[in-house]
Amino acid sequence: MDIGELETTAALAQIDLGEGDLARLGDAVSQMLAYFEKMNALDTEGLQPTTHALVKDNRVRPDIVEPSALADDLVDRAPEREDRFFVIPNVL
Amino acid sequence: MYQTVVGLEIHIHLNTKSKAFCSCLAEFGDEPNTNVCPVCLGYPGVLPVLNEEALTQGYTVARALGCNLSQRTLFDRKNYFYPDMPKNYQITQFHDPVGRDGKIEFQAHDGTIKTIRIHDVHLEEDAGKMIHAGDMSLCDYNRAGYSLLEVVTEPDLTSGEDAEAFLLSFQRLVRYLGVSDGNMDEGSMKCDTNVSIRKAGEPLGTKVEIKNLNSTRFIKKAIEFETKRQATALETNQRIVQETRLWNENRDVTESMRSKEGSLDYRYFPEPDIPPFLPDAAFWAAVESRQVELPLARKHRLTAAFGLSREQGDFVAESRFMADFFEQAAKESGNGLAVANWLMGDVQKELNHFNLSLEASPLTPFRLAQLQKLLDSGRIHIKIAKQLLDAVFEQNKDPEVVMREKGLEAITTEEQLSPIVDKVFEAHATVVEAIKAGDARQKGFLVGQVMKATDGRAAPALVNSLLAKRLG
Repeated sequence: MDIGELETTAALAQIDLGEGDLARLGDAVSQMLAYFEKMNALDTEGLQPTTHALVKDNRVRPDIVEPSALADDLVDRAPEREDRFFVIPNVL
Repeated sequence: MYQTVVGLEIHIHLNTKSKAFCSCLAEFGDEPNTNVCPVCLGYPGVLPVLNEEALTQGYTVARALGCNLSQRTLFDRKNYFYPDMPKNYQITQFHDPVGRDGKIEFQAHDGTIKTIRIHDVHLEEDAGKMIHAGDMSLCDYNRAGYSLLEVVTEPDLTSGEDAEAFLLSFQRLVRYLGVSDGNMDEGSMKCDTNVSIRKAGEPLGTKVEIKNLNSTRFIKKAIEFETKRQATALETNQRIVQETRLWNENRDVTESMRSKEGSLDYRYFPEPDIPPFLPDAAFWAAVESRQVELPLARKHRLTAAFGLSREQGDFVAESRFMADFFEQAAKESGNGLAVANWLMGDVQKELNHFNLSLEASPLTPFRLAQLQKLLDSGRIHIKIAKQLLDAVFEQNKDPEVVMREKGLEAITTEEQLSPIVDKVFEAHATVVEAIKAGDARQKGFLVGQVMKATDGRAAPALVNSLLAKRLG
């Protein structure tokens, strides 16, 4: 994996990676990509892409409101909050 | 001279009670993070399930816009890292949107009818809201997961004025279809605008995307500003950069948005959690049943049927409620022109006075038609008609009932009027003598006295003819 690409990906995810992290993660990601390369090598000529297996019927839900009982818990679990807002470092 | 080329990406909030992929309430203005659940907060291991109503409304719009409708519609993940979307991707449609390749007519700024091609119509979810304050950002996910419909036009618009006219007609269309309130100031309709310029006959120029446009007027101004800016750039041999610019409403200019690291690659791929949807006969029937006569067609039909002016046609076709109201009252009364005049004039005054919408007012098509019929049959005069209209608003009664209760029916026979004239002549014998002696100037005084004695109910023509007879 090209280190530049890894840096771009990290920047998009707003993650700061140090030199050591980059080397370590670079190896790990390269390993994953090598695995995908193996799959890429398979001959899929003429096959329809399978985006979903085992789906027979339409699966939709009616437009009915069911408030989640978990809303308050989810807010409580935030590492940092102000009133009911989730607080994160400024991303503007 | 340069030609402006404009394409729009319009987003509307659909009229669903719950969100697009979970059952949370889709409502604005609640306490932050109250309408949230593990699905719209993007927790791992959850399963989003598509709201069928959102899908029906999406297809309804695509059908009204003349699109080819997808027989098998699919969702994709659009990957991006920004905390307004806690999942780090947005569920949207990229490969198989609900509709493609549509076209729709609208009335341009100069009154001509133009056609805009629609590139595609696709369903997606809205993001949360963020407030940036000091060294922190506050996130509220109440809006995350709202059903959003995006309509992308081809670059067929050629001026800011036409873009504004098109947006207003699109807004009417979604309101007629009942799929969105289309209010730009409340954020239920948003529009990103792509602008480029070229010399006639040349290929399309480099386009610039303008965001942060929350009114149709700003869109018109931004397009006009951008046309000038790009023309100046080309005239001075500068390159136009493909970029996103923000509209600054305080300075009336577009400003370059600091560009992000390289261009974003959204790495779209099929959303594995949402299976494809294949509309069945019942679904198609539902979409069909929601089609309505579109605003422009309705305006043309009503204008022709009732002999309205362009201004009147625009007014009565503005909303579906108004068009229905007008059409019913016009048919019932047989006088569409008068009904249009009432609606544009005195009815608006009453609505303003009582601070009511037509929907919430006591005036019904039946009552307005009845009022006009009383007028057309000569049973009341225009002055009384205005009083009766006011009484409908004050007392919530039929105009004819008020007319009877208050004895406001016009005096139209000599039999009714004679005794009143007798009394006036008695009371003003000297004036009568003076007129008979040749002083015609005082005739008007007698007419006034008769009107006063009848509270203005006497038909003026009858008063004049009766007085002429008596005075010789």
